[in-house]
Amino acid sequence: MSETAILVGASSSWARALVKISPYTFSAIGIAISIGVSVLGAAWGIYITGSSLIGAAIKAPRITSKNLISVIFCEAVAIYGVIVAIILQTKLESVPSSQTYAPESLRAGYAIFASGIIVGFANLVCGLCVGIIGSSCALSDAQNSSLFVKILVIEIFGSALGLFGVIVGIIMSAQATWPTTV
Amino acid sequence: MSSTFSGDETAPFFGFLGAAAALGFSCMGAAYGTTKSGVGVASMGVMRPELVMKSIVPVVMAGVLGIYGLIIAVIISTGINPKAKSYYLFDGYAHLSSGLACGLAGLSAGMAIGIVGDAGVSRFGKFVEIQFDKHGRI
Repeated sequence: MSETAILVGASSSWARALVKISPYTFSAIGIAISIGVSVLGAAWGIYITGSSLIGAAIKAPRITSKNLISVIFCEAVAIYGVIVAIILQTKLESVPSSQTYAPESLRAGYAIFASGIIVGFANLVCGLCVGIIGSSCALSDAQNSSLFVKILVIEIFGSALGLFGVIVGIIMSAQATWPTTV
Repeated sequence: MSSTFSGDETAPFFGFLGAAAALGFSCMGAAYGTTKSGVGVASMGVMRPELVMKSIVPVVMAGVLGIYGLIIAVIISTGINPKAKSYYLFDGYAHLSSGLACGLAGLSAGMAIGIVGDAGVSRFGKFVEIQFDKHGRI
């Protein structure tokens, strides 16, 4: 049994290139993207919100404690990324080297990769969205304090996008089953 | 071991990538729509706070796009099951194209909702109702 795959099904140039890549490569990249890009989105959102909040609080110091909620919404996005990365890395199993390129382990590698991409990029756009809305929330709260709760409703719609990514990522990671028998 | 396997080994790559595209691009569209109209609502609400709750409609419309992407991604992801049904390259490419169709349509819809929502909400804030008295004079 060699370590390289022998294609059973139809082969195209894409397929012949893809079977040369170990499923563990795909899994590792997926896990890295899920946490790295989520934290990028959270950080981007926090600095957009934070700079507007601090600037607006010069003339209206009352807004500071309430508007920290926007920062917390952005932070939640990073926590989603951490949770999914931990779940994905528990899905990694060691298979014997004869089975590394078996169809089932290839599929498991692709599932973890796609799950990581989904979570990473959904959290990236969610963090950006919540950050920009949070900065508008701080600025309009500084002018008129009745607006805070109303703009917060919009932020809640934005933060639901990160949750969608987590849900699909976890559903897809259930597909990552490695072969157990030789 | 490989004699009991039928279907194509690398087809799940394209299938899962289709599910990723469906959710990823739809979420991008939803985020763009939410952000652009939300900023418009916030800046309009400073002048007319009583109109803010009516102006949240574009934000809700954009949020629904994320749900469309979620549904398609879950349907694709549960449809990739080589143990139940052989998964060929045909199925993989079909899932990839359906995911891209849903995702890119959601992205375009979200961008449209954002731009129109922003413009509409700021016009709505500037709109003044003209009252006529019983003689037809303003």
